[in-house]
Amino acid sequence: MQIYLPIAELSVNLFFLVGIGGAVGFLSGLFGIGGGFLLTPLLIFSGVPASVAVASVAGQILAASTSGALGHYRRGGVDLHLALYLMLSGILGAVGGVEAFDWLRDAGQLDVVISVGFLVLLGSVGSLMLVESTCSLLKSRKGVVVRERLPNQHNWIHGLPLRVRFKKSRLYISVLPVLSIGLFIGFVGSLLSVGGGFIMVPALVYLLRVPGSVAIGTSLAQVVAMMAAITILHAVQSQSVDILLAFCLMVGGTVGAQFGASVGKQLRGEQLRGLLALLMLAVAIRFGLSLIVAPADVFSIAALGAAR
Amino acid sequence: MIRLLGPLLLAMLLVAPASAERLVSQLSNDSIEITSSFAGERMTFFGSVAPDAGSDQKFVSGPFHVVIVVLGPTQNRVAREKTHNFGIWLNTDKVEFYNFPSYLHVLSSSRLSDIADVTTLTTSGILPESYTLASSTGDWWKTEIFSRELMRLMSKDGLFGMQENGVNFLSDNFYSARLTLPSNAPPGPYIALTFLFKDGNIIARKSEGFSVRKIGFERFIALAAVQSPLLYGVICVILALFTGWLGGALFKR
Repeated sequence: MQIYLPIAELSVNLFFLVGIGGAVGFLSGLFGIGGGFLLTPLLIFSGVPASVAVASVAGQILAASTSGALGHYRRGGVDLHLALYLMLSGILGAVGGVEAFDWLRDAGQLDVVISVGFLVLLGSVGSLMLVESTCSLLKSRKGVVVRERLPNQHNWIHGLPLRVRFKKSRLYISVLPVLSIGLFIGFVGSLLSVGGGFIMVPALVYLLRVPGSVAIGTSLAQVVAMMAAITILHAVQSQSVDILLAFCLMVGGTVGAQFGASVGKQLRGEQLRGLLALLMLAVAIRFGLSLIVAPADVFSIAALGAAR
Repeated sequence: MIRLLGPLLLAMLLVAPASAERLVSQLSNDSIEITSSFAGERMTFFGSVAPDAGSDQKFVSGPFHVVIVVLGPTQNRVAREKTHNFGIWLNTDKVEFYNFPSYLHVLSSSRLSDIADVTTLTTSGILPESYTLASSTGDWWKTEIFSRELMRLMSKDGLFGMQENGVNFLSDNFYSARLTLPSNAPPGPYIALTFLFKDGNIIARKSEGFSVRKIGFERFIALAAVQSPLLYGVICVILALFTGWLGGALFKR
């Protein structure tokens, strides 16, 4: 069944859209990620213009993170005070990111920047996670009790000025690293159309020493605010949010995420992290190859920004 | 009254050449409506060659050739070329085409080279080169290379095509042509230019407009996105928040 997308200006099979939404939603429920880094390339591959794909995926990530954030909030897993700082700086970063996105698209260098960005981020986070999860899997197999790092262990970040007390995270730290993490995620998230949870959670846990029980919920709350801002920014600036496309993806994604979450409960944390690391590395390699392997077609055409 | 018309008719008869043909043409639809299930639309162009009004000719004698050029709304496009630098493939060269038709299909009753010479075809805007050369900003040689690539990539998307057997003559002077507009045909005003050729010369031409437009819900959404983008964005956000909440509420309980 074909459905015409009014902003993308082409018709796509409805079941295909809901299907990829559902498949990516399954993975996002399984691993607790937004899934933007899988969805955007899939949409572009199926013929949706890149700007429409990026802007509409922002809406889908927003929906996917909302149900997650609400669930964590009910269980008390969101530090609203910390999330507020992250949200404000994240929105600021997103403004810059959307600006950079438009500029790069007009200059014709957007796909290169996106490829390099994914290669670096997914490659580094993916390899770190793979090493970490393999080590803990091996250790648990040998029967060694893994001693988790204590949350009150300090590093240089805790010596910075402008300290604020975050009660729920049991932290008394400077706002500077918090704001810069938010700013970075906002910029990268809007440029690559990802929620950024895969950078945010490790950053909160390893850099700021936020307890694991609060880190995921707080990160999701920040993603909700940031993605809402990005959706509105794209709608105002490039008018490329396709509400119908976003809605089809949302429906598929929300249903898929529930199945993913129930499968995820049967797997152990290290196994999940290992699988996610492999997935991230696969996507990173795919983007890396697109940079170095000769493209099938060296020529490409695009509509110029003025007359979309 | 009759005294006034008399000399006028006489003058017209004198001016009109001995054998004059005119083109009577029609489109199957003058507006193509994009609905939610739009997956392209088939159009038919048909017409006949008739003796010109006022001439004493009773019938026309061919052979005739018909060329139909269908042009979509103009658009600014850029064609880019990737090259290998420092181990990475980068877009380095580009040619921009301003006010270039976003849709261009040429249908003809025979091979264009058999219908007329290149000069006639180019000056009357039948060959795609007449559009690329006019709208390009680059130098001639680069335009030549990039316009070929532009045409190739547009034909991959179904936005460009040459069908040299696209027009069929059903009798000596009646023709019809079929064209399928793809689902990604850009909405806007279209124009169909019909040229009637005899012995390598254009003896009649006609242009008809038709429009491709979104109607109903699709039109409402497209207008909302452009006219009140802020409200549209906020509604997208509310929809996403609601869907996310509903999904969580439905499944987790």
